[in-house]
Amino acid sequence: MGSGIAITVARAGHEVVVRDISQERVDEGLAQVKQLLDRSVERGRLDAERRDEALASTSGTTEIEALAGCDVVIEAIFEDEALKAETFGQLDEICGPEALFHTNTSTLSVTGIAAGSTHPERVVGTHYANPAPLVDLVEVTRGRLTSDEALRRSVAFVEGLGKRVVFTKDSPGFILNYFLVPFENDCIRALEAGMGTVESIDKAVTLGLGYPMGTFRLLDIVGLDIHKAVAVSLYQQLRDPRLALPPLVDRMISANHLGRKTGKGFYEYE
Amino acid sequence: MSDNGNVAVLGFGTMGAGIAQVCALAGREVVVLEESEERLEDGRQRLEAFLGEGVRREKVMEEERDETLARVRGTTEVGDLAGSGVVIEAVVEDLETKRALLPVVADVVGEGAIMATNTSALSVTELAATVPRPERFGGLHFFNPAPLMKLVEVVAAVQTSEETLDFLESFAKEIGKEPVRTKDRPGFLVNRLLMPYLNQVVQAYDDGLATAEDMDVALEGGLGYPMGGLKLLDLIGLDVHLYATSAAYEQTHDPHLAPPPLLSRMVDAGYLGRKSGRGFHDYSDGNGGRS
Repeated sequence: MGSGIAITVARAGHEVVVRDISQERVDEGLAQVKQLLDRSVERGRLDAERRDEALASTSGTTEIEALAGCDVVIEAIFEDEALKAETFGQLDEICGPEALFHTNTSTLSVTGIAAGSTHPERVVGTHYANPAPLVDLVEVTRGRLTSDEALRRSVAFVEGLGKRVVFTKDSPGFILNYFLVPFENDCIRALEAGMGTVESIDKAVTLGLGYPMGTFRLLDIVGLDIHKAVAVSLYQQLRDPRLALPPLVDRMISANHLGRKTGKGFYEYE
Repeated sequence: MSDNGNVAVLGFGTMGAGIAQVCALAGREVVVLEESEERLEDGRQRLEAFLGEGVRREKVMEEERDETLARVRGTTEVGDLAGSGVVIEAVVEDLETKRALLPVVADVVGEGAIMATNTSALSVTELAATVPRPERFGGLHFFNPAPLMKLVEVVAAVQTSEETLDFLESFAKEIGKEPVRTKDRPGFLVNRLLMPYLNQVVQAYDDGLATAEDMDVALEGGLGYPMGGLKLLDLIGLDVHLYATSAAYEQTHDPHLAPPPLLSRMVDAGYLGRKSGRGFHDYSDGNGGRS
């Protein structure tokens, strides 16, 4: 997500500095940024000059102090509320008082993350729909402590990236994951119950409901391990049985059938 | 099995007309049963309007339209169904109506005919039990509008034979559809997946998760759904969804299928969606579905 957001922000004309915990991860991230931008050029979605500009305005660092001059910090780290909260606490010491803190969390509490900052009023949820450079939608969430001023400036920033803003309450999964994850679990349970096969359920979803991709195709792209993390996080907060992880997912994870990245998930890949 | 090419469709409503059209377009002779001349005429007009629209959009040739219309014959006499190899029931979603009609039709078409129901909310197994030789009875669930929606659910009742399922699957393919096999459980496959989601959408809206417009925009833009959940409910009709999800709830007692209180209240208020001018969005004149 971090590289996708970096591209989105750089393409809108901002200077971007991406921070990660090791030089290796920074290099990987920047390589991914370049690869995604190159692909956009190949597909005729971006001209080469704009790609070069975006690349020139994107840099990487392992030093959190390098974020000192930033007007907006967008957090897109691992989905761990304590870690996110702690990061904003550190940034309080580094960034100016006017800086906005945005969290790209998809399932956690914006208010909980904001609580790590001594200025929680400047923390706003901005969840970029995936893939960020291609999908022009951002869920904007005010935590219980977010100020009107921070919200107003954040919306202006996100809209300035060419995104459509939708406002949601600070509740688990906001809109997108709150509806997507239980639907995915329902599909997995339908498979477990023998209501159909991987192929027929995907056909029901694409031809019957008109969704752009079958659920099992999508889960294979997302990765079953990631799906588990998201479902478990939502279940822990909401205790809704539709969010509880169907046992088949754990079996598949044990077998290393995580999806495309391991060559096998619900489908097989070359 | 005695599939002689002749199809009987029971009911000339929206679904019946759509199914008759699909079968006739594929070259089948179709006889449609209705209870009155008036309803037959309504059905005939539906069929002509839909095929006319197909010609206008250049999906159907004029000659094809005329041949298709010529292959569809209406009747109010159940005796006229004699000689049909395949029967597809698409009358009103009412158990008693279907239960009264099916054995009478079975008697006319004989035990060799394959029989199917287009029910979406009732038990196929219960309907199969109304005819002799229930193993030749299954579900053939088309989606609205039947001429445009590719998917057809082939539903196995408890009694349905493998042979019947194979037949229904190849029949669906022959008339240009993509069949998926499923079991006779509430909602089958598609509606079982759709209904809890729609209920969740209504409850989230009632809980103030977001405005109706923002919820729909997020689902369309962020997940690529063809229509946001609230807009879809307005299109389906809130009363139609209330009926379907209540029927599924009665059979499962799954709380995710229980109709959310706001849904029932809106139906009580006559806010049924597009057809009444107002649902979650406003469709009154000059207001193209704003919330």
